[in-house]
Amino acid sequence: MTEVYGPVAGSFWRVMAVAGRHAYVLQRSPHRLFDVLVWPVVDVLLFGSIGVFASSRVNGGGQQVFLYLLIGVVLWHVVYQAQIGVATGFLEETWSRSVLNLMATPMREWEYIAGVALFGLAKLVVGVSAVALIVWGAYAFNVVAVGPGMIPVAALLLVIGWAIALFVIGLVLRFGSGAEAFAWGILFVVMPLSGVFYPVEALPPVLRPLAQALPTTHAFAAGRTLATGDPLPWDELALAATGTVVLVGIALGYLTWMLRIFRNRGYVTRYS
Amino acid sequence: MLSGKLSADPVTRIGHGPEVDLALRTADLVKDYRRGRAVDGVSLAVAAGERVALLGPNGAGKTTTLLMCLGAIRPDAGEIEILGHRLPRGRSRAMQQVGFAAGYLPLPQSVRVIEYLRMFGRLYGLRRPDVAAREGLARFGIAQLDRAMGTELSSGQKTLVGIVKAAMHRPRLLVLDEPTASLDPDVALRVRTGLRELSTEQGTALLVTSHNMVEVERLCERVVFLSHGRVVANGTAAEIADRYGRDDLEDVFLHLARDRKSEVVP
Repeated sequence: MTEVYGPVAGSFWRVMAVAGRHAYVLQRSPHRLFDVLVWPVVDVLLFGSIGVFASSRVNGGGQQVFLYLLIGVVLWHVVYQAQIGVATGFLEETWSRSVLNLMATPMREWEYIAGVALFGLAKLVVGVSAVALIVWGAYAFNVVAVGPGMIPVAALLLVIGWAIALFVIGLVLRFGSGAEAFAWGILFVVMPLSGVFYPVEALPPVLRPLAQALPTTHAFAAGRTLATGDPLPWDELALAATGTVVLVGIALGYLTWMLRIFRNRGYVTRYS
Repeated sequence: MLSGKLSADPVTRIGHGPEVDLALRTADLVKDYRRGRAVDGVSLAVAAGERVALLGPNGAGKTTTLLMCLGAIRPDAGEIEILGHRLPRGRSRAMQQVGFAAGYLPLPQSVRVIEYLRMFGRLYGLRRPDVAAREGLARFGIAQLDRAMGTELSSGQKTLVGIVKAAMHRPRLLVLDEPTASLDPDVALRVRTGLRELSTEQGTALLVTSHNMVEVERLCERVVFLSHGRVVANGTAAEIADRYGRDDLEDVFLHLARDRKSEVVP
């Protein structure tokens, strides 16, 4: 007799199975470490060096620019790694034509997303740790010293990254491989509007209302405030949290809608 | 009402008499795509332990029907019930007792066979997926491939691993789409033998599509022919050949493929 787990343990092991499957893929495909290790190094060196240059040339405020760039690049990699981990996790299933095989198992959609997110979280820890270490080693900026206020800020950016990834998965379900570019490109549309490295006031006035509507803007603003030694700005954190809840709701609704279209139109045959 | 006679209504035409446990029941399935109607009122019943072939020319609606039965495609109308679980609501519970393999689906390249099977064993909720995987590999004569990478396998070996994946949790219904499409006769025989053993030893029902009529006649007890998304014949291979006045299933297949506007056989 084949022994099987009960419903709760079964769900747990399905989540672990998905995470484990992606761990095998990463282990055997070193080039996939590019997102995890190479980009963080490039970004830190790029923005850190711009910061050093700016602080040496600008009278008054140069150090602030330097600080903004460093905290910006660390927090950027939280949202970037979270998004890219989940979105490319699903793309892996389309590349390996595993979608149909996975759909023909007891796995529920949330179990799959949780598995990919769990693996993405592990990648994120590696990637953000790499950023933090380089920032500390090369520019003597200790992220940990910013304090525990960074935890809710990073947590919100993590959830925002996952929400954007759900939106990307929805696009791929609906539009097929033509939408793959969004997995890498969508955050770079959000990046300038979110004030990753500067306050929203630096944006052209016409874009500021749009920027203020993004939860990322308030999360990065809270991160900058903390980095300059001020207390946690609860108002910014509350705006970021509210926006994140709305974003997650929209992303889940969109994904559910696209999944329905995917099943109704038989798009699974694209990957078989 | 169940009948022992050849019937165009497959719900009333299953092979095991009037009092049977059904592994699969579909009623009046309809699926429209933009290019037209792919499935047009298909009703099927597969009894527990029964081996049924779903045949038809390309575009007849076989794969769409199978994918609807797996919950991967949603029908526009009709009902699907697997082992008492109505889809789509009961899909996850139903799939715990269903296995699926398709000859055209590849194995992921970046994993070893045992890792691949372990993953699917866990997706099926198995407590000891490695044990089930090794038993399955041995059943189909490929125990030595457990450490092989997906890239190192021949197409036939990949197909065998896919079937092991589909059967490792001892499903009560095994759905196979073109399972032996890429296999040489020797390996195809091994597959047929393994599937027949599964069916007789474990009571696993089989629903199989194939273009190999000889294989269908050797493996399956009953054949359902689809054409233009409709069931046009349902019975044993001999009954269907006789009904169409042909020598064998292959002749019937060629007849249906030539005459795509064939009428439903009463």
